Amino acid sequence: MASADKLINTDVPEKDVFAFHFLQSLSNLRKQNPFDTPDQKNYRVRKIKKAAYVSMARAAGGSSRLWSRALLRRAAKDDNKIVRFSRRKRKVTWKISSKRRRSNQRAPVVEEAAERLRNLVPGGGGMETSKLMEETAHYIKCLSMQVKVMQCLVDGLHYNKN
Amino acid sequence: MNSSSLLTPSSSSSPHLQSPATFDHDDFLHQIFSSTPWPSSVLDDAPPPTSDCAAVTGFHHHDADSRNQITMIPLSHNHHNDALFNGFSTGSLPFHLPQGSGGQTQSQATASTTTGGTTVQTQTKPKVRARRGQATDPHSIAERLRRERIAERMKSLQELVPNGNKTDKASMLDEIIDYVKFLQLQVKVLSMSRLGGAASVSSQISEDAGGSHENTSSSGEAKMTEHQVAKLMEEDMGSAMQYLQGKGLCLMPISLATTISTATCPSRNPFVKDTGVPLSPNLSTTTVANGNGSSLVTVKDAPSVSKP
Repeated sequence: MASADKLINTDVPEKDVFAFHFLQSLSNLRKQNPFDTPDQKNYRVRKIKKAAYVSMARAAGGSSRLWSRALLRRAAKDDNKIVRFSRRKRKVTWKISSKRRRSNQRAPVVEEAAERLRNLVPGGGGMETSKLMEETAHYIKCLSMQVKVMQCLVDGLHYNKN
Repeated sequence: MNSSSLLTPSSSSSPHLQSPATFDHDDFLHQIFSSTPWPSSVLDDAPPPTSDCAAVTGFHHHDADSRNQITMIPLSHNHHNDALFNGFSTGSLPFHLPQGSGGQTQSQATASTTTGGTTVQTQTKPKVRARRGQATDPHSIAERLRRERIAERMKSLQELVPNGNKTDKASMLDEIIDYVKFLQLQVKVLSMSRLGGAASVSSQISEDAGGSHENTSSSGEAKMTEHQVAKLMEEDMGSAMQYLQGKGLCLMPISLATTISTATCPSRNPFVKDTGVPLSPNLSTTTVANGNGSSLVTVKDAPSVSKP
């Protein structure tokens, strides 16, 4: 059997793509709001975090991954923006229910872990376990890439200050 | 005619069995039983040929009586090995004996499903192999496929997650979940420390609005925090940690703190015990003498307002 990675399509965006999107969103943020008032800090933190996630989702190839789509949709909902995606309806929801009816052999250990994963990974609500694990793998790769980029940015900025 | 249809699926793969256009039962069975030993390529993990011969000859005897009632199991491409091997090695008679030789091609299909044991489905699911004693029920096949898929995905996840050498599936899943939570927390902390975000948090603690560097604090605030933390630590470490985290502080052994403060350049090692995020070099430290003898240091990010 071929190696698992060849069967599953996990191509992670490059760091510079994400960095580009992220910096763009950050500069947008800076233009919008003044950040001096202390009571706004929490708000600002949240904005930055959201900007990070949104730019990550966009860098990850916007609509090709389920979790990125869900992320973008959630973010757009907060801003009351209307988001358009290509017509790819989620047909998996009915599949889950019918399979559950049929047999009760779902390894319960795996299933409860999958439940927890679904809460963590965005857009995991309507997915089957195998698909969910695919998404998780891609999500983990993207998250670690995001952390590395942000790390470099923080270090660079602080170092330059000194 | 009937028998020829039996052998045509297997003829392409098995070099051993011939399939002439027409022959009757006698020739067919004679051919099989006279050909010993089986070539090793035919059988997967072949028993020594002698046992095969024994089974074959034993069967031959039995066969001589009711020859025209014996039907062979239809042999498909991939599974003829299994069928023959399983059939002969155990010595049991897996063959069903239908009454009358009339509709043999039809009855074979039903016979193979009803014999249980060594049956092999011919063309239903070519990629699934039904083993002995297992139901060839499509539900369980789908179940097995699904489980294999999940196992394979878990293996690829295992390579991603550090510390993924657990063999137990449950603990592996727990690792994965914890790692995702950890990464999300890292992003949150990084976005907090970016652009002096934590400056706000620490400025709330120490009522200094201006950015002060090596701030050994508005000591009133620090002492209050210290007392609070000490009190919390007595009851439960977890809540103490959470309290500190809410204030943007963290706990670390003194030796590490001294290393940090003497460092002149930012270092990438994870100093913090809780989150693996390296601290920025602009730190202000307060020393707390813990109740149980060890001294811990609380570190907070300096309130530096940076303009990118």
